[in-house]
Amino acid sequence: MTATATAPRPLAPWVLVAPVQLMVGLIIFIPALYVLWLSFQSSSFGQQAVFVGLANYAQVLGDAYFWHALRNTIVVVLVVVHAELLAGLGLALFVAAGVPWRPVVLAIILAPYAVSEVSAVVMWRFLFDPDVGLATRVLQALHLPILEWSVVPADGLALVCLLSVWLNLPFTFVILYAGRLAIPTQLYEAAEIDGARPWQQFRRVTLPLLTPAMLIAMLFRYIFAFRLFSEVWLLTQGGPARSTEVLAVYLYLEAFRYNAFGVAAATGWLLVLVSLVLALWYLRRLYRDMARHA
Amino acid sequence: MRRRRPLARAARALGLAAIALWSLLPIAMMALSSFKADRDIFAVPQRLAFTPTLANYVGLAARWGDFFRGLLNSAIVTAGATLLAVAVSTLAGYAYSRYRGRALTFSAFFLIFIRLLPPIVITLPLFPVVNQLRLNDTHLVLILLYATFFVSLGTIVMRTFIDQIPRELDEAASVDGAGVLQIVGRVILPLCGPGMIAVAVFVIVYAWNEFLFAFIFTTTRAKTAPLVVSEMIGAVEGVEWGVLFAASTLQLLPILIFVVLAQKHLMAGLTAGAVKD
Repeated sequence: MTATATAPRPLAPWVLVAPVQLMVGLIIFIPALYVLWLSFQSSSFGQQAVFVGLANYAQVLGDAYFWHALRNTIVVVLVVVHAELLAGLGLALFVAAGVPWRPVVLAIILAPYAVSEVSAVVMWRFLFDPDVGLATRVLQALHLPILEWSVVPADGLALVCLLSVWLNLPFTFVILYAGRLAIPTQLYEAAEIDGARPWQQFRRVTLPLLTPAMLIAMLFRYIFAFRLFSEVWLLTQGGPARSTEVLAVYLYLEAFRYNAFGVAAATGWLLVLVSLVLALWYLRRLYRDMARHA
Repeated sequence: MRRRRPLARAARALGLAAIALWSLLPIAMMALSSFKADRDIFAVPQRLAFTPTLANYVGLAARWGDFFRGLLNSAIVTAGATLLAVAVSTLAGYAYSRYRGRALTFSAFFLIFIRLLPPIVITLPLFPVVNQLRLNDTHLVLILLYATFFVSLGTIVMRTFIDQIPRELDEAASVDGAGVLQIVGRVILPLCGPGMIAVAVFVIVYAWNEFLFAFIFTTTRAKTAPLVVSEMIGAVEGVEWGVLFAASTLQLLPILIFVVLAQKHLMAGLTAGAVKD
């Protein structure tokens, strides 16, 4: 069809994609397969691996700490992703409706994107310090309960959620904001002429046309939120008494503290499976799209 | 639509104030407190008026020389990962933009699929391998890991940008006898700057701030700045808040300025990487 399709050297594209494919294959894909193999073995550092079938999976699924970590992960993911989606939607519509000094407003909204998990933990720990934290003082002044995040597990997870939303809201916002700007203005003008009230415009124009962007933002955030590690590790290390562990922290402890590589590998593959199930819809749609254009 | 103007304006001002408070207050508290003496940091209630001091920064330099080595390590690792990721993503992005084929499509799908594998999972097998190759605690291992985790997104973003460069330019160069690499170098490279910057922004922010891989694969020589800050949080002799604020502020400042300056590219990259695929 095009000149490139009949290019004299069909090897050229493979030479060009080779570095990327090699990096991804050697550093991510093969190790991931190796983890699968490892999950059927009993192994630890410097020991001969022994095939044990599904024993590691049985051990993981029989471990109360695993179920506790899974429950924590699901709660945090659900809270964080949906809070981000709602806040991101509100922000996107607010900014798209017209604000003064738009570049400045955008820079302010994007600022947390630049902050490392480590620095974010420093900031939020200080804000919610039970003795001198500004947020603690405000809560007390309003006669609200304060967050005892280092003692009460639910409070610890609440702070993790707050921290995660703060760090990741810029991403969700950008996706939704770009989606909102892509909606043609004429649609709103037509709705206005038809006498649609703002709420009706939102229900009939904005929401349906923004749904694809919302699904994409949600999907990416589900997948990435499931990996949550640093925030929890730096804030509570999963404590007190392993009560605030999430799956990635559970995996890390099994592997690097208890040297149970087989169990950690099984946990790892459960993590992968959850990610794949979450993304199945997206992958199927994407594959059809790409196959059609091939 | 604009009948309730004063009310709408007040609501908008309130909204803007809430946004600024949410986004900036945590950052501002940390940065301001880094210039406070201990008694002002722990003052109840917090006051905006205080005598600024550089004591925390002096203390940081005196007791945590590790931190400045960490900043240098972070800079080296970030530069290396960015150069590597941008270079290989550009090559692959060009191939996926200009060539078609069943196997090639499948390999593009593979790149996207890879993004679903959680990084912590692959640390399990990599840890012993990296030790065996004596690559633990080196810049190289972090450069490779950081670049690899962004080449699939980088390739997608580059393809989106290169798609917008007319094929006629390639074809003209091809007629003049240029090979594929020459076409990429002389025709595409000068025109896909915005895409390369968008990819670079992602990698720079990620590599500068990353914690998990640095935590697992470095111990002393190649320790990055976030890792040193995390050690300060967990220091056995109790947290020295002032010094910790100073370190966190220094770690954040360059990347914050960078993100503000690169705002447009960041937004373009985020949209190209997520929505169109």
